[in-house]
Amino acid sequence: MTKLSRRRFCITGLALAGAAPFAAAPPAAAQALKGGTLRVGVLYELANYDPQQLSTVNFHVIKNLYDSLIEYTPEGRPEPSLATKWAIAPDKTSVTLTLREGVTFHSGNPFKADSVLATLQKGADPKRGKNVFSTMAIVKDWSAPDDRTVTIHFRTPVPDRQIFDLLQFLIPIDPKGIDTVETVPAGTGAYTLVSRAVGQGLTLKANPKYWREQQPLAQDLVFTVFSEDAAASAALESGAVDIVYNGSSRSAVRLKDAGFQVFSGPGQLVQVFRINSTRGPFRNKSFRQAFNYLMDRASILRVGYAGMGKVVALPWAPASPAFDESYTRTYAYDLDKAKKLIAASGLSADAMKGWKILVDGSNEASVTISQVVQGSLAKAGIPVELDMRQGAEYVTALLGGDFDATFGAVGNVQKFPTRVTTNSIYRTAGNPILKDPHPHPDYVAAIARVDGAAGGEAEVKAAYDNLNRVLVDEAFGIPTNSYDVGLIVASEKIGGVTLDIDNLFVARTIGFK
Amino acid sequence: MRDGLISLGRRLLARRGAALGLAFLALVALAAAFAGLLPLDPLGQSVADALKPPSSESWFGTDELGRDILARVVYGARTSLVTAFGAVLTAALVGVPVGLVAGFYGGWRDSLLMRCIDVLLALPNILFAMALIAVLGRSQSAALIAVGVAGIPGFARIARAQVMTLRSLDFVTAVRGFGGKPGYIMFRTILPNALSPLVVQAIVLASIAILLEAALAFLGVGVPPPTPSWGEMLRTGKSYLYEAPSYAVLPGLVLTLTILSFDTIGRALTAILDRDETDASGATIGGRR
Repeated sequence: MTKLSRRRFCITGLALAGAAPFAAAPPAAAQALKGGTLRVGVLYELANYDPQQLSTVNFHVIKNLYDSLIEYTPEGRPEPSLATKWAIAPDKTSVTLTLREGVTFHSGNPFKADSVLATLQKGADPKRGKNVFSTMAIVKDWSAPDDRTVTIHFRTPVPDRQIFDLLQFLIPIDPKGIDTVETVPAGTGAYTLVSRAVGQGLTLKANPKYWREQQPLAQDLVFTVFSEDAAASAALESGAVDIVYNGSSRSAVRLKDAGFQVFSGPGQLVQVFRINSTRGPFRNKSFRQAFNYLMDRASILRVGYAGMGKVVALPWAPASPAFDESYTRTYAYDLDKAKKLIAASGLSADAMKGWKILVDGSNEASVTISQVVQGSLAKAGIPVELDMRQGAEYVTALLGGDFDATFGAVGNVQKFPTRVTTNSIYRTAGNPILKDPHPHPDYVAAIARVDGAAGGEAEVKAAYDNLNRVLVDEAFGIPTNSYDVGLIVASEKIGGVTLDIDNLFVARTIGFK
Repeated sequence: MRDGLISLGRRLLARRGAALGLAFLALVALAAAFAGLLPLDPLGQSVADALKPPSSESWFGTDELGRDILARVVYGARTSLVTAFGAVLTAALVGVPVGLVAGFYGGWRDSLLMRCIDVLLALPNILFAMALIAVLGRSQSAALIAVGVAGIPGFARIARAQVMTLRSLDFVTAVRGFGGKPGYIMFRTILPNALSPLVVQAIVLASIAILLEAALAFLGVGVPPPTPSWGEMLRTGKSYLYEAPSYAVLPGLVLTLTILSFDTIGRALTAILDRDETDASGATIGGRR
């Protein structure tokens, strides 16, 4: 994946801003596609319609009911969406947006600056801001000189990429429906909600006033919820659905071999072996560092994700600007090095035992890869048990930090590096696992340094390098592999699939060949 | 007693189905008991050899971590049989005395104990077991207790019914007349004569226990990995039906055959004991059979 420097980002952004009118035109390939009813099988039941509560369970609807201020291409270039232009102040302390004209919300309300302000207000509210709240930490205030212009001011100079991430993450909500957005969608998206049968599915229809020309292609969009991955695959094979979204990597590999199309976007997740460094032997740094070498990453990727993804030793997807492949080689699986670090820890055999790996029993990949680690630990002379929990019981333990060690995926790993702090184990403050004060001040300082690196390319790179070094040194999170979330497996009659930077499902360009 | 057991064994073996069932169970029990002496490693991982089909090197193929499925089936038999044996023992040790006391004394004791048993009966086995595991945690002993508690009502009701039939017979009245105490009459006089249906119940419960343990593992609340368990293998194997059908099919086949064996033996025993009872009561007089 090409790395974009700050300057290139800015230039590209301005160039694309100039080309805004063309951004709304449909791709040439899409023009040859026909509409109809698009039937999509999904594995998750929707939680709610709030775009600020983004999670895998609503990945399939958000980009169909809403639009972002800007979008990223799969390569990571920002491009206009509801904002047609942006201008970053020379001192990097503000960005001024020009909003698109002629856009209406599903309610019929016109899209204006007031909706962006209401969205910013919600995002900055610690109770209502949900996932967006931590991203809003860089924002000082905002203003709207007129209906088509919004200026966002930052607390300190902010790197360009971080500004683009913020704009891409901001999804304008209709001010009229912002208080009820969890239950009633309130966006400008290509589709509007028709009906929902909880636990069964969701039906959307094309928004007749949609602002992108000749989109959406499919008039109706029908989601069916499957509780089993195999059932969704069987539905695709039998022709009962046209697409399976967010199924397992293993099924995708099998279906690809059977002639189906598989699309994987750049928005991968990274699997991280999360270590509670406030407990037992994990308080010992050398013991934790041994886990950098104890992870048989190739085996984990193979058995957990059918080989789809990449082994990594840092919490970045390959598309991240901080991604550094040399760490994967340096921290490859090496039992001897692990044993040396374990010996150097000075811990007795008894002190190293007695902890458990928390496992999400309802997640097949989690069960399998935890057993790989269990096997590696046994070879290193550390027998551990698996603490199997199901569903909500697991999530409560994970988010509450009630575990010794566990696997958990982290997201936002293809964007600005400090976005990693949106994941609980990597939070620098209010960390539910490591608590306050943060037990790894070097890590907190490294994140702050990256956040403040708004200068030249060398300064940015040095900050990234420092963060990477600190991450493997502190070793409270041991990344093992990136893997695909939001995989799209489609029948051969489907065309026009758009890859989203976060791997959200974008239906508006999809049609039938 | 010894002659009676030998005779019972001979009559069981005379029935082809029961003989086959006994032979299969003996094979499974021997394999489980002496698994440590066999060249089988149920935990050794070799991811490079994952999901291999059955071959001369690995008769049942390998699982997703490259572990030998045959080895896991053999060691899984330990889990199943220990759970079954433990559950039967738990159920019998609690259920039989409860049934004996209720049936022997009658009155308020009978009402109280049987209402408690009714409460247990009203709870679906699988839900009750899952609730108990939620409290006790996921382990083999928790599964054993859960299945055992679920089996208590069966033993209690059969024991009670037997006592109510036997307590008014002459030999019991005679022992009472000689000054036999209630405990002696219940456990030394009545119980030995009520054993036949209880043995059948034990065999039936053993098959239910194996199935329930497998069901719990299949639902993800059984014995935690990497301990081999047939239900756990079925649970994981179903996800690999396309790539490695033998992964789920072969452990499933062993599980089915084991339950079938228990059931066949249980039915044969019931038939033999029913015939004995009918003969003893003279029901054949008049050519009714």
